[in-house]
Amino acid sequence: MGDYWRVLSNNLPDYLSGFLTTCQVVGAAFLIAMVVGVTVGALRAAPSTFLNRIGFIYVEFFRNIPLLVLIYLVYDGINRAGIISLDRFIAGAACLGLYTAAYVAESIRSGVFAVGQGQVEAGLSLGFTQREVLTKIVLPQAIRTVIPPIGNLVIAMTKNSAILGGSLLAINDLLLRTRQIYASNFKLYQTFLWATIGYLIITITMTVIVRKLETRLAIRR
Amino acid sequence: MGENQHLVEIVGVRKSFGANEVLKDIDLTIGRGEAIVIAGPSGSGKSTLLRCINALETIDSGDIQFDGRSISDAGKEVHKLRAEMGMVFQQFNLFPHKTVLQNITIGPTEVKGIPKNEADQRARELLERVGIPEKADSFPADLSGGQQQRVAIARSLAMDPKLMLFDEPTSALDPEMIREVLDVMRDLARDGMTMMVVTHEMGFAREVCDRIVFIDEGAIIEEAPPQEFFENAKSERARDFVDKILHH
Repeated sequence: MGDYWRVLSNNLPDYLSGFLTTCQVVGAAFLIAMVVGVTVGALRAAPSTFLNRIGFIYVEFFRNIPLLVLIYLVYDGINRAGIISLDRFIAGAACLGLYTAAYVAESIRSGVFAVGQGQVEAGLSLGFTQREVLTKIVLPQAIRTVIPPIGNLVIAMTKNSAILGGSLLAINDLLLRTRQIYASNFKLYQTFLWATIGYLIITITMTVIVRKLETRLAIRR
Repeated sequence: MGENQHLVEIVGVRKSFGANEVLKDIDLTIGRGEAIVIAGPSGSGKSTLLRCINALETIDSGDIQFDGRSISDAGKEVHKLRAEMGMVFQQFNLFPHKTVLQNITIGPTEVKGIPKNEADQRARELLERVGIPEKADSFPADLSGGQQQRVAIARSLAMDPKLMLFDEPTSALDPEMIREVLDVMRDLARDGMTMMVVTHEMGFAREVCDRIVFIDEGAIIEEAPPQEFFENAKSERARDFVDKILHH
């Protein structure tokens, strides 16, 4: 057991900085995933075929290519084209966020369709426009009902974030830091145990928050 | 001149769902302050007619004028006309994620831009009027069916509508709750609200409304004041209907 503790105490600053970077990239990706996801979900459910199609194309594009391929396309592709030089952190957060947004959009859409037609008619009869009914009455209910599946997506996203450190993006996240530590001590279990715990701290915290939100915002019927 | 017109004028309205013609050449006018009951067998087109008036259904031909403006010509402005009519649904359709008070104020504040404190005060007055002031901060799920329907009525009234449409407002209620909802509706009619009520409650029709419109198979068969309708209906079908409903 002493071996495990020694690895941690010898490398604590590296572990912590990796942990923090993972938190930051997941946080940024979360914001992108929610804003884009809710918007695309709304497009998917909007009363307009044109808007539906835009949402559909977004979802099918991001859902059907591997995250790793997306990272290559975004980071290497854009930088090689020489249009702009993209910061690795921003590129990583954007890829992860936009990728997860496709799944968030599908959750939101299923939530929208779970809100009954009666709610739509009640909103219309009060004088709301179709769009206002969607944004002010249907979406707030849809988001509440899909908190649990979105919680799952965010946890999956946290785990997917390890790809950013593992890929050519080489963001200094928890995974990359752990691999660097391992390369210097060759103690696989002793080193990766702390990465495992680091990821668990983030995901378990998320699970607790999702549970709390779920009870707090639950719609009683 | 607006004051002399009828509030609602329905002329030659037809409506089909696929091959099924549910409204066949309907002509009907409703005067200001008038309360009418639309009666008829299930599937006769009563609810569809009501839903056409606030454009929840579109009509195939004919015209519906509301307060001098055509519903079918309103296009994208139809929401402005809808804001001037209240609609009460069979299934209440309260917003489950909002409190009773928020259900009532969302229309005035979001659609009409009335300040929140003003809307709150008015909502509390309306809750008083429908007899459940103590439920302001409850959620719809905590209310009985009768209470929910009274909140739904208050929600519509908060928009100060010129016309109230009731689509079988008591059909989803347990028998002991029907009375409390009908009482609210009766008071409304007495206060001079223009109302169109689709209902099977013939006691309410007899006591409260000015006119009964009897619809069968998508056509208006008979229009008469309640007493005349119940005691002296002209058409065979209306007499048959009255007979069934009064002696069931």
